[in-house]
Amino acid sequence: MITSITSEKLVVISDLHLGNPFSNAKKKVIPFLKWAAQEKFDVCINGDGLEIAQASFSKVAFEVPEFFRVLGEFRRAGREVYYVTGNHDIALEHFLEDWGVMKVAPFLNVTSGNTRLRIEHGHIYDPFFVKFPVLYDSLTHLAGLFLKVHPELYRLWISFERFASNRRAKKTGIVGERPHFKEAALELSRRGFDAIIFGHTHHPGVSELETGSIYLNSGSWMLTPHYVKIEHGNVSLVEWKPEKRVSML
Amino acid sequence: MVLKPKTRFEHECLEDFEDGECVFEEGDTGRDLYIVQSGEVAIIKKTSTAVIEMAVFKKGDFFGDMALLQSLPRYASAYAKGKTKLLILKPAGFLLKIRRDPTFAFEMLQQLSYRVKMSNDRLLHVVEKHRLPVDEVQSILKILGGGGDAKP
Repeated sequence: MITSITSEKLVVISDLHLGNPFSNAKKKVIPFLKWAAQEKFDVCINGDGLEIAQASFSKVAFEVPEFFRVLGEFRRAGREVYYVTGNHDIALEHFLEDWGVMKVAPFLNVTSGNTRLRIEHGHIYDPFFVKFPVLYDSLTHLAGLFLKVHPELYRLWISFERFASNRRAKKTGIVGERPHFKEAALELSRRGFDAIIFGHTHHPGVSELETGSIYLNSGSWMLTPHYVKIEHGNVSLVEWKPEKRVSML
Repeated sequence: MVLKPKTRFEHECLEDFEDGECVFEEGDTGRDLYIVQSGEVAIIKKTSTAVIEMAVFKKGDFFGDMALLQSLPRYASAYAKGKTKLLILKPAGFLLKIRRDPTFAFEMLQQLSYRVKMSNDRLLHVVEKHRLPVDEVQSILKILGGGGDAKP
């Protein structure tokens, strides 16, 4: 299993949830991949690219084949595609790689220039996912039913998380996230990582760690599309707008 | 529960080393595990005929695992190459570290597996180069494979 790679130009995206009733990521991600191939970037999908837990079969059937066709073109253009598994697509891990388009890994240690980075979905640091896996799974499936009835309920949930995080006494890390994710990033940074990139929480942002390293979350393409750009060791979080890209770092 | 950094990192510390400074000597009885945070560390083994640089560990690599996992004296010496910063894990904190950072265990297994393969490859290379007798090679492989008394 490959977990260590070298790439001078890499973009990281996460949480597309293709096949989820709420997700409209496909129409944004396809032009993004074409742009990335043109600019000679490798691409890493940092977990939950495809939806299994809350999938709508018709959406999966409609969205996934075209997505894989574009990834195939990306690969044929000589660029690498990496897929880090998340909690919504963990069941797919066995055959994603067999499709021959991408390299699948549980996490990636990336060397770019003089910078050493860790890319990981981050669900194993989610206290709810780790402590109550059955309840987490059941609620995820239940939420999937609500999303089929009214997909916009998801936006309400994300706003609630941001509100709750703002009310928290210790405002550490990225707005909307529980502090456990920044703590996990700090732990990793002590092992010699200059930047740590998670997904999972759907809250994009950048936060400095006390070790001098940085912690980034690439957010979710279900909401506002963001990507982490790694170029010769320089790392930044950028909002994807086809005509204009706004850097947040 | 999120632990305060002071409590969280109670069983580990950071230490700086100058170029050429000794991290530990062959035969020392320390049990700490080292992770290279920056710089490099050379592992040096003295034999009856030569001094051999067995490995150079870079940022993110770990060493000192034999002493930690098997309670053996240090097999070789370790020296800093250039300015080096090491994260030092105390034996008492090792399992806590794995609980907080589970991928560390995965990476350790991965590196150990890689090192076993490298040792086997080196052995086979020597066997082929010097055309060693088959029974001698078999007995070495039996020891390396953990047969008989070689198991912990």
